[in-house]
Amino acid sequence: MILEVEADVRRRGGFRLQAAFRAEAGRLAVVGRSGGGKTTLLDVIAGIERGRVVLDGVDLSPLPLHRRSIGYVMQDAPLFPHLSVRGNLAYGPRAQRVEEVAARLGIVHLLDRMPRNLSGGERRRAVLARALASRPRLLLLDEPFAGLDEAARRDAMSLLTGLGDVPTVLVSHSPAEVLGLADRAVRLEGGRVVAEGPSASLLRAGEREIDNAFVGEVTGPSRVRVGDVDLSVTLSEGASGAVRLACYAHEILLARERPAAISARNVFPATVRDLVPAGGDVLATLEAPPFRVLVTADAVRDLALAPGARVVAIVKSTSIACLGPL
Amino acid sequence: MSSTVLLTLWIGALATLLALPFAVLVAVPLARSRGPFVTVLQTLVWLPLVLPPAVTGYLLLSVLGPRRPLGSALKALGIGIAFDRMGAVVAAAVVGFPLLVMFIVLALRAIDPRLAVVSRSCGRGPVETFLRVTLPLAWPGILAGAVLAFARALGEFGATIVLAGLIPGETDTISLRIYDLLAQPGRESEILGLVLASVAIAILCVAVAQALDRRHRRRLEVEP
Repeated sequence: MILEVEADVRRRGGFRLQAAFRAEAGRLAVVGRSGGGKTTLLDVIAGIERGRVVLDGVDLSPLPLHRRSIGYVMQDAPLFPHLSVRGNLAYGPRAQRVEEVAARLGIVHLLDRMPRNLSGGERRRAVLARALASRPRLLLLDEPFAGLDEAARRDAMSLLTGLGDVPTVLVSHSPAEVLGLADRAVRLEGGRVVAEGPSASLLRAGEREIDNAFVGEVTGPSRVRVGDVDLSVTLSEGASGAVRLACYAHEILLARERPAAISARNVFPATVRDLVPAGGDVLATLEAPPFRVLVTADAVRDLALAPGARVVAIVKSTSIACLGPL
Repeated sequence: MSSTVLLTLWIGALATLLALPFAVLVAVPLARSRGPFVTVLQTLVWLPLVLPPAVTGYLLLSVLGPRRPLGSALKALGIGIAFDRMGAVVAAAVVGFPLLVMFIVLALRAIDPRLAVVSRSCGRGPVETFLRVTLPLAWPGILAGAVLAFARALGEFGATIVLAGLIPGETDTISLRIYDLLAQPGRESEILGLVLASVAIAILCVAVAQALDRRHRRRLEVEP
């Protein structure tokens, strides 16, 4: 999608959103601190607030909210409490293939339940399914994973990456979400767009350091080639071609020598490029592939880590999450 | 005595039914919007609540009286208001109107406003959203308000006696009948009967309204 937005919105309390940007992306992230105007920007795109919105050359500005075909999934969006899950999914006049959408989100067994009988995670899925069932030309997601625990968050992320090619604008403060789900990002600060670009470059240094997001090529069942390294990764069935992968910096181990026998499936030599303090710990960046590894200061001393030092990197295959095709 | 009670119930029910659509129409902007227009509307709606009922009755008479344009036009259509049973209905409807509107505003405000946004982003326009989401969610609350407004309408006295007068068998509701009987010696037992009937109806109405209100909250998934 190519999305152009020009907005000048004043909110009560003196906040003013003055944003103008043009972005070409499959999935666009809106990042920035809370209070920066991220949700207001989504309100503009949805048509709740005034502003110029052009999507793929079509000017949506004169259209009211209900004529825009934009699926807006607000933060903690409510389900219609008087309708069953099926009724919620089939609510929009353009709603189609309710069963198919429900199957994709794994909620077929919930279709005849009322919203009050759903858990938080089930509600979230139903809300997302409702937005998708109306076949939106654009999906707006406001902090879709806020408040989820780590396992549920990974689960939900893989769900979103599996949604196919619905253009999406995602508001998030989580670097992992932004890197995993969006190819480009817009950074909002104090109601103004301060940067637009590839999502990795838009994150602040502090945010970028935490995780590893990278792209690899599937070479066989559970095998992905990243640079010169052939990694063992738990892949979903039928994965092929280029895939997005993510791994937490603190889940990668460094050793001086190759261990004799170890359960971790990925053991490869690497060179330390640089070391930066990160909180009380140290963030080491490796060369080829440029993995970030979070280690303690003690480990730096014991392993004599320094730029140029030769080490062995160890990553469990279950520590690498496949976020879906590129 | 039973004919007086039935007449009272009939007038109260008709007054509530007459006021209900207007009350819903007025409650929607009052529940959601702000601005000078809403302030003026709110003031107008509250007037019958704060004006002395006799003044309300007098104002109604000066608009709906037989020699006034609106009154004579209605008379030509066969609807007599002044010193007629319909006058009692109109008086009860107008005096009960603020209460009815307030209950409906509360019922509407209890609904998560984001539901309307969700409905519209699913592709339903404002009218469809009102009919498919707002009204189905609000109706038990609206009905609870209507039952209480009905109970209030049964007791209307001041505006009724000015607009409709005290015509035996036509406009003498329980309140007017008690007033009438008080002037006659030896009618205490009849008065007592009307009083007991009033208390019973009032208790029943409050109980029904509470049950409806609980249902309203359950439907909205808010804790009672």
